[in-house]
Amino acid sequence: MSAVPKERHQGWRMPLTDIAISEQDVAAVMDCLRSGWLTMGPRTEAFEQALARHVGTPHAVAVSSGTAALHLACLAAGIGPGDEVIVPAFTFVATAAAVRYAGAEPVLCDVLGPGEFNLDPEDVAARITPRTKAVMAVHFCGYPAEVGALRTLCDERGLTLIEDCAQAIGATVDDDGAQAGTVGELGAFSFFSKKQLCVGEGGMVSTADGGMAERVRLLRSHALSSSTWDRHRGHDPAYDIVDVGFNYRMDEPRAALGLSRLARLEADIAVRRRLVRAYRERLAGVAGIELTWDERAVRRGSHFAFPVLLADRDRRDRFRAQLGEQGIQTTWYPALHSFSEYRDRVPAGALPRAREAAERHVALPLSATMHEGAVDVVVEIVRDAVSREG
Amino acid sequence: MAGPTTHTFPELPLFDLRLEGQDLEAVAETLRSGWLTMGPRTEAFEAAFAAHLGARHAIALSSCTAALHLAYLAAGVGPGDEVIVPSFTFAATAAAVLYCGARPVFAEIVSREQPSLDPADVAARITPRTKAVCVVHYAGYAAAADVLRELCDAHGVALIEDVAHAPSATLAGRKLGTWGLAGAFSFFSNKVLSIGEGGLLCTDDDEVAAFARSRRSHAMTSGTWDRHTARTDTYDVTGLGYNYRLDEPRAALLLSRLRRLERDVARRRELTARYRALLGEVEGVIVPFDDAQVPTSSCYVQPIMLEAEGRQAGVSASLRERGIQTSIFYPAIHRFSAYRERFPGVSLPITELAARTELTLPFYPHMSESDQDRVVTALAEAVAG
Repeated sequence: MSAVPKERHQGWRMPLTDIAISEQDVAAVMDCLRSGWLTMGPRTEAFEQALARHVGTPHAVAVSSGTAALHLACLAAGIGPGDEVIVPAFTFVATAAAVRYAGAEPVLCDVLGPGEFNLDPEDVAARITPRTKAVMAVHFCGYPAEVGALRTLCDERGLTLIEDCAQAIGATVDDDGAQAGTVGELGAFSFFSKKQLCVGEGGMVSTADGGMAERVRLLRSHALSSSTWDRHRGHDPAYDIVDVGFNYRMDEPRAALGLSRLARLEADIAVRRRLVRAYRERLAGVAGIELTWDERAVRRGSHFAFPVLLADRDRRDRFRAQLGEQGIQTTWYPALHSFSEYRDRVPAGALPRAREAAERHVALPLSATMHEGAVDVVVEIVRDAVSREG
Repeated sequence: MAGPTTHTFPELPLFDLRLEGQDLEAVAETLRSGWLTMGPRTEAFEAAFAAHLGARHAIALSSCTAALHLAYLAAGVGPGDEVIVPSFTFAATAAAVLYCGARPVFAEIVSREQPSLDPADVAARITPRTKAVCVVHYAGYAAAADVLRELCDAHGVALIEDVAHAPSATLAGRKLGTWGLAGAFSFFSNKVLSIGEGGLLCTDDDEVAAFARSRRSHAMTSGTWDRHTARTDTYDVTGLGYNYRLDEPRAALLLSRLRRLERDVARRRELTARYRALLGEVEGVIVPFDDAQVPTSSCYVQPIMLEAEGRQAGVSASLRERGIQTSIFYPAIHRFSAYRERFPGVSLPITELAARTELTLPFYPHMSESDQDRVVTALAEAVAG
């Protein structure tokens, strides 16, 4: 095998994430480029059908990004000005931004605990007002949120449940194997380049509701009553525009890449899970490191990232600096209420568990291209770093 | 799968994209690198496109719609504001105004012979709420961006150029897209410089550029590439941003295709000159623009207007039966149901006449002369019949 291209490592001994594009993936994209048809067409349709089968959802609609998927999910759910949507305070910023694109207000909610980053259904219940229209459950880092409890709550209170599956394609939410994205009325997925199924930029909306699927399809391409592909195939050139839509289309090369990579998704997730178990075994009992979630979550999760906890923010920051010096790239995800843009939306001291989780966690290298030997290397450096803290 | 077998592909399609071996190689090499999100290739394309335009900044985006949205936001367009736009354009020009919570005010085109925004009509529609004017360089031909620039400056409103059709086109020797506060380009698959989905915002204004760069990626103070290359460690979010990013495979394709842009446009101009000479002989057909405008146009599409009303659907159907695809560039935006509901009572007689009589003919840089002849003959027969 040829040397790893420099973009992927940039001098890191162990990059945080990594992807390997196979020659079969490259060939799929080359076929598409040679065809000369690049805008949404047969490959996008085929990708959507394969995704729908894979996730177990009646409708999958490919879009330009996970953010676009969240936006269109909000619109398909009828969310608009004056509405409130409950979102976790610990998530990527797109979750809250999408609610605001729809003209509604994101209401930040706390998570279960510093070692379980997902929405706390009790705190969700406490934040429901007459203006609440929906709850956005995020399956953070690929670990399934408590969507069973949230489903019951939303049903009781007449709310829509939207699942933000940007980090969780392939995760299961129960022992019957139901996948993330099939419990809520709508699910939003991301195919961003760091994700388990990546194409560069891309996303998808899943839904069992035919009307909602139709609305998402309409709004992703400027609410045009016919597509370029339809017209190319001999349909009438006239069209109407029936709503304010967007350009949230995926194109054919990305659909071709996604379709090719989807065939390996399950195997890639299995590798990620095996690496996470290897990490957990070796880190169990290491003083100064706390594992997050539990074996059930590991079994069900699709493992976008592997976060562990340090005692506090200062120790976490020193720990990250020490790993960085050893060429181990790590990251951490800020909570929304630590950003300038969201700080003033919540009272001081609010949402303490989300804040604690954000301040104490660090995500260690994890990708489907990693080997167990690499886990040993990272763990050794981790042990060394925490032992120096004493 | 809803397959091509059940439908009829046109023998002569509206557009036909042919990529070359070096384009494919550029994408394959990017895929093999394993780095797909905005990074060195996007930066390289932006630098090359800025140099091509003679603009200070070029910011690659997910689409031209995204570019228009960010251009309007950068111009300060918000709720309660008005933006003057043509109605004879693709809906994105106006939709992006609605994304900002503002109101599109539709203005007239000059004539069917010059179907570009009429500065006199724009002037008449400026109010204290007008925040920006968006000019579209329809079909790749320069609208009166110079006159509009003076008008906008005099009223203290921003000029935005919708350059979706017109990369490499010029007005008075200056590239279109560089006349206003910002220019919005499209790299959609049927465009002059096409990659699938993509767009770009160009500007000479440092603040507009910084704003667009921030908002295209969720107003985060650093990107994945920055963190990967250890330029920075964490980030803040400093506004309401979007995911309007391009990715590396598309940037690589753009960079490869940009090298042939001038050559492609030169060929488009030659073929357009030939088309115009042939179409000029067809009774009952108006060929918009003047021959003298061709050498500075990007010649994106070949529009014609049928002199008589009530023939558009019939002529289009007749050409379709002969294997020739046509399109309408464009139905008037203010006549779409979404806009009639929101903005009733808009009347733009010249735009409406153009929209009712326009047909766009097959056109692409590798179109053969015999195919052009075939289109023109079929059109003449359809119009006469």
